[in-house]
Amino acid sequence: MSIAGFLNDSIAVAGNEFRVFRRNRSAVLISLVVLPLFFTASLGAGRGGAGYTYSPTANIPIAWVDNDNSLASFRLWQSLATSPDFHNLIQGYTEKGALAQLGTKRIYAVIVVPKGFENDLENGNQARLILYTDDSEPGLSDQVQSTLTTYTQNFDVNVQVQPYLTQLQRQTIAGVAIVKKGAIFAGFNLGLTTVLAIVQIFAVFYEIAGGISREREEGTYARLLVSPISTGSIMLGKTLFDIILSVIRTFTILGISVYAYRARPNTDILTLLMLSLIIALVTMGIGFVVGALKMGQRAIVIIEFFMILFLFAFSGEFIDSNLLVGVSQTISYLLPFTYAFDALKRTILLGRPVFSLTFDLEYMIGSIVLTYAMAFVLLHFSRERLIA
Amino acid sequence: MPEYAILTEALTKNFGHFTAVDDLNVGVAKGELFGLLGPNGAGKTTTVRMLCTLIEPTRGTAQIVGYDIREQAAEVRRQIGVVSEGVSLYKDLTIEENLKLLGTLYEIPRPKADARIRELMDMFAFREKATRLVGALSSGWAKKAMICAALLHNPQVLFLDEVTSGLDPQSAIGLQDFTKKLCEQGVTVIWTTHYMGEPEKICDRIGIMFAGKLVQVGTPNELKHIVSEVSVVEVVTPGLSRGQLEKLKARLAEIGQVYHVKYVDPKLEVSCERTDRLAEQVASTLIETGARIRAINTKDPTLEEAFIALTGGEEEIDRFLESAGQKA
Repeated sequence: MSIAGFLNDSIAVAGNEFRVFRRNRSAVLISLVVLPLFFTASLGAGRGGAGYTYSPTANIPIAWVDNDNSLASFRLWQSLATSPDFHNLIQGYTEKGALAQLGTKRIYAVIVVPKGFENDLENGNQARLILYTDDSEPGLSDQVQSTLTTYTQNFDVNVQVQPYLTQLQRQTIAGVAIVKKGAIFAGFNLGLTTVLAIVQIFAVFYEIAGGISREREEGTYARLLVSPISTGSIMLGKTLFDIILSVIRTFTILGISVYAYRARPNTDILTLLMLSLIIALVTMGIGFVVGALKMGQRAIVIIEFFMILFLFAFSGEFIDSNLLVGVSQTISYLLPFTYAFDALKRTILLGRPVFSLTFDLEYMIGSIVLTYAMAFVLLHFSRERLIA
Repeated sequence: MPEYAILTEALTKNFGHFTAVDDLNVGVAKGELFGLLGPNGAGKTTTVRMLCTLIEPTRGTAQIVGYDIREQAAEVRRQIGVVSEGVSLYKDLTIEENLKLLGTLYEIPRPKADARIRELMDMFAFREKATRLVGALSSGWAKKAMICAALLHNPQVLFLDEVTSGLDPQSAIGLQDFTKKLCEQGVTVIWTTHYMGEPEKICDRIGIMFAGKLVQVGTPNELKHIVSEVSVVEVVTPGLSRGQLEKLKARLAEIGQVYHVKYVDPKLEVSCERTDRLAEQVASTLIETGARIRAINTKDPTLEEAFIALTGGEEEIDRFLESAGQKA
């Protein structure tokens, strides 16, 4: 078959996909509206709603117990209270009274300035702050500690935050380094890294694997198989169709993130589009492989949910890959989406140029080539699986 | 020697330990209407799927208008049209859109494809329904749309797999007439069915498949002649009880192999190995059991009776259907 014929067939398949797609209103609604809107809006709302900056510690009630009553302790309170990270510092508690409130959800942390705080600073000694946290809230003590560390370091190098383990806080937090997490990223930037990848993965996987499964069940894939079209043309046609849907979805997510949730990605739109499409292509490759395995549409939906759970556990987006151990870490390092999330974070959050992320890009492009090759072999050589 | 449109050589397909098609050797001449007859699970659809290049044979091969199904699958696909239960049109597209897509895939130039679509639309009286979604058509019209799709590229070989199932009798007869005309124009047609009456009426030759094997091939008359060793008796005997029927079967078993005993009040039909005593034996047994006989006739075997005889009798078919059901 000539290249022109190959491309002609691919475009015919893509056009056909579009005609079928536009007749299916629920598919249009779910793929292009509900998924991007739902994920972006729910994650945006979960991260504090609209606003230029987001701080996980900003609105939680924290007791401020000043046992030093000095100018230095007053200045520290002032710098914290006027910051965007501690809007709800409550004064008036005694140390004993504040600790009694921990675990009741009225107060989530207690910052105690011990006597001698100012003296230590004046004498050039290391000053100390005592921090009590409610460890029934996962991650909160780390967030408060890291944010407080940032301010005390800025306030004076001699002030040290010293977390104390309370009776409420049985497990040790020693040795777990969580530095500058959450508070330094503007608005919805962190949310954007999540939503951009998750929406593409969620939608694209079903469009490809579910699409092949539906065609197999309805007998339309067999119709293609008895025509002279090549497997490559079918794959390219479906890929072209889904790339266009992925572009629409990317712009929808970016629009909502930037205009509704004030995300300020530290990168340009072409980089975001490129990364988004690379993620979509990796997912398409996996979708083609799964689609070739003779699975019903119900099975595809179940696999999709497991895949999303798998991503939450191993992709490094929610739990850093370096914190995982043993097999979990190996899985994380093998998973192409780990590199996708990494690339998104480095570009959106840190403003790194996309072409400096050589390994991430190489791994993802390698994954695309590998999954497409696997899918081609499966679709081409096991045609029997594709007949109802 | 005829010019073959289809020639199979030891064509075999195994699914695990189950042999769906076993060592099939058959030649179908150009322009021939060849019926493939057999019960569900006999291997007809698997045969068609191998010839359409949808599934790979385990052993053996076949040529379709000279192209090998293993080595030249893409060429084979250009030469064939398929109407089968597992091969459908897009339900969310109109008939016209479906045909245009196929026109592109078969590389038919656009003006030629449009003209051919108009021709087929007229042929099947589809003009008014051209913009209707295939999913919104009745099963009869949907089947006609599939036939249009199969004929779009003027195939040399047309596979019609259980094509009349779901069609009303009028449409089925219309389709049979249309198929005959196609063959007159030189198209080779493989017509698979489990309805015995159809191929007898329209096919030039019939291949009887059973348990994956091609049991016999011949014209409808040849097949009936092959089984002229079958005796068939028809008796009008109202109100026959199950006990009387069982006694009759037992008595008949003493004179030879019984292929078929069917009773639908008041008509009793019996076929067995050829014997001059069949009518006498049936009549005497029925009288002995107290049955009333209004009429008794001997008759020539039909294709259905030929099929039953060739496949080893009703019990053998029941056993096969049971095992085929378990495999499925």
